[in-house]
Amino acid sequence: MVLDMDPLFLAWSYFRRRKFQTCSELCSEILEKSPYDQAAWSLKTRALTEIVYVDEVDVDQEGIAEMMLDDHAIAQVARPGTSLKLPGTSQGGGPSPAVRPVTHAGRPITGFVRPSTQSGRPGTMEQAIKTPRTAHTARPVSSASGRYVRLGTASMLTSPDGPFINLSRLNLAKYAQKPNLSKALFEYIFHHENDVKNALELAALSTEHAQFKDWWWKVQLGKCYYRLGLLREAEKQFKSALKQQDMVDTFLFLTKVYIRLDQPLAALNLLKQGLDVFPREVTLLTGIARIYEEMNNITSATEYYKEVLKQDNTHVEAIACIGSNHFYTDQPEIALRFYRRLLQMGVYNCQLYNNLGLCCFYAQQYDMTLSSFERALSLAANDEEVADVWYNLGHVAIGIGDSNLAYQCFKLALANNNDHAEAYNNLAVLELRKGRIEQVRFFSGYLYGILCMFRLN
Amino acid sequence: MPEVKSMFREVLPKQGQLCMEDGSTMVLCKPKLLPLKSVTLEKLEKMQREAQEAVRQQEIALKEQRREPVEQ
Repeated sequence: MVLDMDPLFLAWSYFRRRKFQTCSELCSEILEKSPYDQAAWSLKTRALTEIVYVDEVDVDQEGIAEMMLDDHAIAQVARPGTSLKLPGTSQGGGPSPAVRPVTHAGRPITGFVRPSTQSGRPGTMEQAIKTPRTAHTARPVSSASGRYVRLGTASMLTSPDGPFINLSRLNLAKYAQKPNLSKALFEYIFHHENDVKNALELAALSTEHAQFKDWWWKVQLGKCYYRLGLLREAEKQFKSALKQQDMVDTFLFLTKVYIRLDQPLAALNLLKQGLDVFPREVTLLTGIARIYEEMNNITSATEYYKEVLKQDNTHVEAIACIGSNHFYTDQPEIALRFYRRLLQMGVYNCQLYNNLGLCCFYAQQYDMTLSSFERALSLAANDEEVADVWYNLGHVAIGIGDSNLAYQCFKLALANNNDHAEAYNNLAVLELRKGRIEQVRFFSGYLYGILCMFRLN
Repeated sequence: MPEVKSMFREVLPKQGQLCMEDGSTMVLCKPKLLPLKSVTLEKLEKMQREAQEAVRQQEIALKEQRREPVEQ
């Protein structure tokens, strides 16, 4: 005789083992038998949320509409050192853009990329519209569209009998009365359905039901306002939540608001206040370091990243940023040690092997260079990554004086990504060394075209 | 070797102006370290890839469904 486990208990067990798809299927079976089983319903919402959950603190995608129709700006031209928009305000004595490459938006490239650092703010409307011509720099028209919606529609398409919860038929006021259900439901609406308006309504009703005493609902309200671009309202909610309960998350959300408002100094102050409440908290320290890095104050950024590593010596972002900083200040040997540390920690991807290869070459450890680059090429996930690896291999070829190989490497970089501005530039330089002026003109022409497209410097 | 006389004599101007031309030359772009991706970004990209794949599969299935009645 086989003893069957209680299905709800089994589903709960799947949930805890992070097998969310199985959990949600099992819950559906339970719900078919007894449609009013609240426990199964709530568990299913949680499982579906977990499948698409990403940390909201990390997610930030500013659309064209928000950037260009920005009515929060206090001054059109910010004073030096008070804004994240001005690329040229270096105070910390970091390496010049001639040494350290910059992104399309004119920021120094960092050792680590997050959703919000993917593409910086373009300066003009013209530029904002021009930029999305290539897939990897595309930005949505507004942050309410774009990635969130695309993911939302996809999740709807994949479920054959329509969405799990029909939001338009949901009586939100009823659910707001039940604190046990409403929190899971809110997260489902916010993360899975990406329906910020309904989520906001539920949060507003719930916070009222909790008599404005639950800080959690205030944070959620703030998150909704932030997504809708109502930054001042979001600020109010977060501040009110902080008055009730000091939470690291709330500090980070409020920082996001200030960064969106382009007030990096206010954000820094806030994070430092947070550090008074939560001494040596890693996420707060990282937040400070990121802001300093974005303001081009590399010295302070490195100090804070080092502080992060004192608390958490497996922090990938801190290791990668310190490593890249050493590389661009002419200390490839030290950079190599940081990247090797990442390798020991189990990071295994194209980017890391590419960086290891470069560091090995410039630290004169030639035996490892080419094998690292080979691995990087075999691990590359898309054409842009392949192009970047070939571009760097071109530098190795220049370093060993093989200009034919260098030429071929840069050509291969272009074959994989024909927007690779640096590769065009280097090809032009190689042609100039050979004295072939016609070819130089040809590559410079391309380069000029790309520069116009991206306004790179 | 003192017996071999150099064909060229060095010239060190003692008077007059010394001219230096500082021409601009083209420089190479520097090597590019690739930034590592955060966990969130990797998850987002993975979800997007999966979603695209799912949509494509569905479109193919839909096309085949439409084609079948014509063939019969």
